[in-house]
Amino acid sequence: MSPAERPLSPHLQIYRPQLTSVLSITHRGTGVALGIGTIFFVWWLSGAAWSGACFSAAQAFWDSWLGKLFLFGWTFSLFYHLLNGVRHLLWDIGIGFDLRSTYRTGWTVVAFSVLLTVFAFGGGLYVWSAL
Amino acid sequence: MERAVTGTGAIRHWCAQRISALALIALMLWLIEAIFAHLGEDRAQIRTWLGQPVPAVVAAALVALAFFHLALGVRVVLEDYVQTPARLAAALAANRIACWALALIALAAIVTLAFGL
Ligand code: HEM
Ligand code: HEM
Repeated sequence: MSPAERPLSPHLQIYRPQLTSVLSITHRGTGVALGIGTIFFVWWLSGAAWSGACFSAAQAFWDSWLGKLFLFGWTFSLFYHLLNGVRHLLWDIGIGFDLRSTYRTGWTVVAFSVLLTVFAFGGGLYVWSAL
Repeated sequence: MERAVTGTGAIRHWCAQRISALALIALMLWLIEAIFAHLGEDRAQIRTWLGQPVPAVVAAALVALAFFHLALGVRVVLEDYVQTPARLAAALAANRIACWALALIALAAIVTLAFGL
C-alpha cells in the first residue's frame, strides 16, 4: 500500500505548461490574492470607522512603494479573476468549451487583464499624483 | 480520505460559488468606480460618503458576498492541497473562522459609518 507506487496524474514535473493549465492555476492564485487583499480592505474600513490613527496608518501604507506594488498586484488579480470568472460562468452554461474557443477566450482574457491593469493602475497613479 | 464537499453538498457549494460570482461582477465594478471616485480622500470625506444609505448598503452587500465567495473558494483550494484529514479539518475551521471574523468586522465598520456612530 505504498502510495508512491501508484501512478499520479498529471505528472507536474514532466508536464509541459499549456495556456489552459496556466490560466486555470492563475484563476486560483488571483482568487487567493484577492482574499488576502480583503484583509487590507478591512483594515482601511476599520480605520475609517473607529480610529483616525489606524486610518492614517492604512493610508500611509497605500502611499508606500510596498503598498503601491500590492495595489498593482490586486488590480491585476481583480481584472484577471473577473474576466476569467466570466469565462468560467460561460463554460458552465455550455458556451466556448471546445478547444479552439478555449484558447481564443483564454488569450482574450490575458490581453484584457493586462490592458485594464495598465490603464486602471496608470490612471489611478496619475489622478493620485495630480491631487 | 474524507472529503468535505461531497454528495448534494457539492451541488449546493457549486451553485453558491457561481451565484455569488455573478453578483460579484456587478459589485466589483461598483468598487472599481468607487475607488476612482474617492481616490485620495481623507477620513472625514470617506465617512461622509459611507454615511449615505446607498453606498453603505452596496458596500455591505459586497462585503457579505465577497467573504461568502472567498470562504467557498478557499475551502476547495484547501481540500485539494491539504493532505492529512486532521490538518484539513483544522484548515477548514480556520478558513471559516477567519472569513466570518473579517466579514463581521467589516459589516460592523460599515454600520458604524452608515449611522455616523
Ligand atoms: C484588519 C486589520 C485591523 C483592524 C480591524 C484594526 C482596528 C483598529 C481599531 C478598532 C483601532 C482603535 C483602537 C482604539 O481606539 O482603542 C485601531 C487603532 C490603530 N491601528 Fe488598527 N486595525 C487593523 C490593522 C492595523 C494595522 C495593520 C496597523 C499598522 C500597520 C494598524 C495601526 C493602528 C494604529 C497606529 C492605531 C492607533 C492606536 C492608538 O490609538 O494608540 N492597524 N485599529
Ligand atoms: C469579480 C467577480 C468575481 C467572479 C466573476 C468570480 C468568479 C469565480 C468563479 C466562477 C469561480 C469558480 C472557479 C472554478 O470552478 O474553478 C471562482 C473561484 C474563486 N474565487 Fe472568485 N469571482 C469573483 C470575485 C472574487 C473575489 C472578490 C474573491 C476574493 C475575495 C474571489 C476568490 C475566489 C477564490 C479563492 C476561488 C477559488 C479558486 C479555486 O477553487 O481554484 N473571487 N471565482
